[in-house]
Amino acid sequence: MKRYVVATGTVTHAIKGREILKKRGIAAETERMKYGTENYGCGYGIVTGGNIEEIERILKKENVKIIKIIPLD
Amino acid sequence: MIYLDNAATTNFKPERVIKTVENALKNYSANPGRSGHSLSAFAAEKIYSVREKVADFFSLGDPLGVVFTLNCTQAVNFVLKGVLNRGDGLIISNLEHNCVARPAFKMAEEGKITLDVFDALSDDIEKAVEALIKPNTKMIFCTHASNVCGKITDIEKLGKICKKHNILFGVDAAQTAGVLPINMEKTGIDFLCVASHKGLFAPMGTGILIARKPIEKTIIEGGTGTASLSLYQPDVLPEMLESGTVNLPGILGIGAGIDFIKSKGIDNIYRHENALCKKFLKDVSQNKNISVILRNEKDVGFVPVIAFNVRGKKSEEVAESLNSFGIAVRGGYHCAPLAHRALGTIDGGAVRVSPGILNRSCDMEYLRKAIFSISH
Repeated sequence: MKRYVVATGTVTHAIKGREILKKRGIAAETERMKYGTENYGCGYGIVTGGNIEEIERILKKENVKIIKIIPLD
Repeated sequence: MIYLDNAATTNFKPERVIKTVENALKNYSANPGRSGHSLSAFAAEKIYSVREKVADFFSLGDPLGVVFTLNCTQAVNFVLKGVLNRGDGLIISNLEHNCVARPAFKMAEEGKITLDVFDALSDDIEKAVEALIKPNTKMIFCTHASNVCGKITDIEKLGKICKKHNILFGVDAAQTAGVLPINMEKTGIDFLCVASHKGLFAPMGTGILIARKPIEKTIIEGGTGTASLSLYQPDVLPEMLESGTVNLPGILGIGAGIDFIKSKGIDNIYRHENALCKKFLKDVSQNKNISVILRNEKDVGFVPVIAFNVRGKKSEEVAESLNSFGIAVRGGYHCAPLAHRALGTIDGGAVRVSPGILNRSCDMEYLRKAIFSISH
């Protein structure tokens, strides 16, 4: 399963997004962004995997701010 | 000291609030979400859990709309100055505390907004408000209950008016959050401002802005722990309004305060405090030297706050005398000149009594005796 970091910027949006995904049975963890945000600075993201289009749709519907989606591996 | 000044802040803080604050200070005093290490992340998780708790308690739905502030005044300023633009119209009530009145009058004086004031004591509040709505009216912002006399504003009616005219609705819940059930969704409140150190039993230095609609502008900018390469403030709630390190122990105290209220039952707390008020009103009703402002023992529609005066005595003088009896009340104007004008007490103010959860009937009896002694 391909994994991604969904960069949300704020820790609050990351936690909310993680909880929403978990409630839908999608594995998700929050982490402090380590890379991929060179032009942005400090921030948080959700490490998740699976159907990323569906994940993006779910998060946007719930008003979770997405800065960018970074593929892992 | 018999503490009857709970409208200013609750003197009693539940043991679970104290322990939660102490635990936070001892065990996870890390900057929430800033540094990324485990303790910082844990602290951020703890704060998020309180956002969820607050959202649930006020039927908001989305924890992202829960913004932690220093107090209710800061929350009100965030709303008025963050939402209203040049030329917009604002309607407030004549029972407002200065936390609403001062920013509103300043903005009007500077020519930024037009300001109208409706009579919250009117028998027909809908008519009073409808008469003031103009094409540029963008928001109605009013107190849920007067901090002077306890009169509750019918926010359900106002919410309906706002919905009908597509106007934003803001509520100052300093006297009602934790005292009366508040359902933002059902009532149509867009912005709820809370003094969590009062009815929610949290430490002082804590307040909450609960937003269902966007805030466009900030009045304080700074570090948010995010987007740190940008020289511009983030534009998403809650962080856009939470610049600087947040009050972690205080915020966790809010969560513990909500847990306490739920364990006791908000209706039970209200019934207890209101019964104490009714006893006092009955006790003083026969004393011709004491004039209670606006209410009597049979009245409904009040939070547990009573204002009164003693004939021939200044309110500050009475409050000082009661202090010498070991009773804490507040005299003067209560930062609410609009309300005192509306209530006819602008000349000298009033003495305010606001019982709390720990007060007992014997406290009110002692108060009665002290007042009777002063009034003779």
